[in-house]
Amino acid sequence: MSPAPLKREVYLLSRIGTKDSHTLAAYRASGGYKALEKVLTGGFTPQQVTQLVKDSGLRGRGGAGFSTGLKWSFMPDPAKDPRPRYLAVNADESEPGTCKDRVLMEKDPHGLVEGILIACFAMRVRTAYVYVRGEYRASYARVAAAIAEARAAGLVGEKILGTDFACDIWMHQGAGAYICGEETGLMESLEGKRGHPRPKPPFPAGFGLWGQPTTVNNVETLANVPFILERGADWFKSLGTPKSPGNILIGISGHVARPGVYELPLGISARTVLEESAGGVWHGKKLKAWLPGGSSTGFLPGSAIDVAMDHDSIREAGSMLGTGAMVMLDETACTVRAMQVIARFYDHESCGQCSQCREGTQWLAQIFARLERGQGRMQDIELLSSLANGMAPGKTICALSDAAAIPTHAAVKHFRAEMEEHVRLGRCPLLAPGAPATHELEEAHA
Amino acid sequence: MTKIILNGREVEVDPKKPLIAACHEHASHVPMYCYHPGLSPVGSCRICQVEVKQGEMPARVVVACRTPVAEGMIVNTEAPKAHEARRQCLEFLLKNHPLDCPICDKAGECDLQDYAFQENQGEGRSVEPRRKLEKRKPLGEVIVLDQERCILCSRCVRFFEEVTEKPQLTVAGLGSRSVIATFGDRPLTGNYQGNVADICPVGALTLQAFRFQARVWNLSKAPSTCGECSRGCAISVEVLRKGEIKRVRPRHEPEVNDWWMCDHGRFAFPRLNEGGRLAGALARGANGLEPCELEDALDEAADLFRVHGRPLVVASPWLTLEEGQRLLALGRALGSECLFVSPEPSPLADDFLHTGDPCPNRRGLTELGFTAAPAADVIARLAGAESALLIGERVAELVGEEALAALPAALRLVLVDTHPLDARAARLELGAPDASERTGTWLNVDGHRGALGIARSAPPGVPPLTRTLDELVRRVEAGAPTSPTPGRAR
Repeated sequence: MSPAPLKREVYLLSRIGTKDSHTLAAYRASGGYKALEKVLTGGFTPQQVTQLVKDSGLRGRGGAGFSTGLKWSFMPDPAKDPRPRYLAVNADESEPGTCKDRVLMEKDPHGLVEGILIACFAMRVRTAYVYVRGEYRASYARVAAAIAEARAAGLVGEKILGTDFACDIWMHQGAGAYICGEETGLMESLEGKRGHPRPKPPFPAGFGLWGQPTTVNNVETLANVPFILERGADWFKSLGTPKSPGNILIGISGHVARPGVYELPLGISARTVLEESAGGVWHGKKLKAWLPGGSSTGFLPGSAIDVAMDHDSIREAGSMLGTGAMVMLDETACTVRAMQVIARFYDHESCGQCSQCREGTQWLAQIFARLERGQGRMQDIELLSSLANGMAPGKTICALSDAAAIPTHAAVKHFRAEMEEHVRLGRCPLLAPGAPATHELEEAHA
Repeated sequence: MTKIILNGREVEVDPKKPLIAACHEHASHVPMYCYHPGLSPVGSCRICQVEVKQGEMPARVVVACRTPVAEGMIVNTEAPKAHEARRQCLEFLLKNHPLDCPICDKAGECDLQDYAFQENQGEGRSVEPRRKLEKRKPLGEVIVLDQERCILCSRCVRFFEEVTEKPQLTVAGLGSRSVIATFGDRPLTGNYQGNVADICPVGALTLQAFRFQARVWNLSKAPSTCGECSRGCAISVEVLRKGEIKRVRPRHEPEVNDWWMCDHGRFAFPRLNEGGRLAGALARGANGLEPCELEDALDEAADLFRVHGRPLVVASPWLTLEEGQRLLALGRALGSECLFVSPEPSPLADDFLHTGDPCPNRRGLTELGFTAAPAADVIARLAGAESALLIGERVAELVGEEALAALPAALRLVLVDTHPLDARAARLELGAPDASERTGTWLNVDGHRGALGIARSAPPGVPPLTRTLDELVRRVEAGAPTSPTPGRAR
């Protein structure tokens, strides 16, 4: 849909698929740690690095899409605020549908390590923590091994590359809670507490980990940093769109021929991702609905597949880019069932602090479950809207409540007819007569 | 002070306190569950949403407990958006609430019930089954948890973390499966468990001792002061239909106990309900102690003291300043030394409220001129005395009833006490009111004046101690002995 064709260039995944891409030797052979060397020995000041990242227009890849350089600049000046300061790397990739950071950590862990080191230099951070999702054991092992290798090679620890720059990187394995991917929940968890998000303000840059200045960055965000330092802000801006520059890792899953993680410029048409990268909807079926960026972003109808995959275009289309995790549903899929699964997820993962979220996520899940079983009432559809309005936006400490409310609003908007059909028929209309319903199958297996 | 505009009125508020405190100070009722002025604000229940406008920014709905006040802030607690947000929040809180108010001890003083009533939220839209959880889970000997009623405000968790600084409770489980729990289901310990029942905004944490004892609206509540140690915590003594004390709770007193009190003080009241009180007056006659007219007993006491001069005066440590002053006047008139009995220190002393000193008015009585004496010393002094006056609530018990009973009949003992004493030395016994039946002042360990309040009336024939003392002083100072009553031993 964009007037000029987008420049295609692969950098984030350029090492993926090469032999031993996770080792230091292979990483260095392909030009790794050159950006760090340039930063440390090329006369860069921390401010210049931050400015460069700001100029590049890099937006966080964790879901919110906030300017990375700007976020870094929120860290207080160490001359005025000598407290210890931290970088927390959010590798708790748990949004349903999202699996992009995992590829980077398993196949190119040194890219992350280099990004961390540059970020720490820019923010004058001495200590970084990588918070890895508990289930990501391979990621944990690969990143831990990469840190050990880098430490042995003088790239992590004291006097990095012979300079006065010192930086330690520590690993932390999560225990499987989605909420620990929320930045303040992550910090609480790192501190050894329950992953209960903190009210903001105070913001992490002033009062973060252990009450000290802290920045939380996503893995993919940091993986972009060495390339920006090496190739410059202008190169980065030559990719993607003016407001959303660079490439993004799109994890596409669901009813497609070739699910996977693909690196594409921001602003790429979703249809291109679906048809060219993922080989189209499987078995020649038609696209019914899709999530552009993970379970919290809200379904778009299949007809909206020509939208550009960048922050602003997707927002205009009524959803969010999120983590760029596209989940595709073909015409045989029951959207009520899909919403039931999503609502159940948020009920399961709500931390339980805020009343609206704790009770609301459960309530939504119960209503979607009833609708899916054919036990819904027509007024349940209005009730869903009304409850979602009570849960969001901005009514709770963190955005998990929003994450449950947003897809609910989208479902009422796009799938109302299908919900009503469920109510009228008293069962799922897509179910062959006599076939067991999903919940019956589930109960049979339980 | 910071000036804000609260519901259209300019008010001055404390910049160190969150907006919700300013709202409450200026009579703008904003509901609260997780917020408690004595605990750190966490902003999790979300019920205190109000509309705030600052500078050029558009008006926002925020939680008042986590919002600092700022000069010129325009606050509208009743803005439609804020009100709607609170109503929505209330609906979520009620979704799984069992609504067993008719059998809930908290009913009548429940913040959730009050706000639901205020908002006329009589019917819910939920048709889902309510959460089924444990309804009566003892958390130790003091507290019973009803998990279904709990709205997970975490006040109780923060109480142990922040007030006693000995964390014991936590939220276990995630999301809608969260419950309040102790580690490994261990019982709660310590002397401050009862406080969590006070601060629980609903009926989730109840006092084992108060469960199903009374509907709170039937309790008459008198502000008073705890007499179990020299801290003198401000309390509310709560009596059912003018009779039995059903509950003692702390009252907010920033100079002494804030919102808290210890379990030792909280659960001392059953003693006051026990009965066996000394009502009216007793005088020793042919058949031992026999009821007599109060006036006659006073006359006899005054005569006895004049004849067998300089009685040893031993007061209860529970004597108030007002009673102490009068007793000293009596002592001066009789040329007596005035002691107060000082029991052994309590092992419950801690670095929070309990001082370990069982004399609530030690400082007051000492400053007046009383001498503290351990029970053993009192007994030794009594053994050598010709006559003695033991006066005040539970004085005989504190000196030692057995030791008193062993004293020779030659000691002419006048007892003014809450309870009768079976001792051959006792010539006269006059009833005294207990701490829930009289007014007066105690001076606590830090010199704070704690007032006693009348929660119920004294048994018949028991005048205030001050009046008994005034009568004695008047009679002693009047000088001339009244004519002896025939047939009574002197």
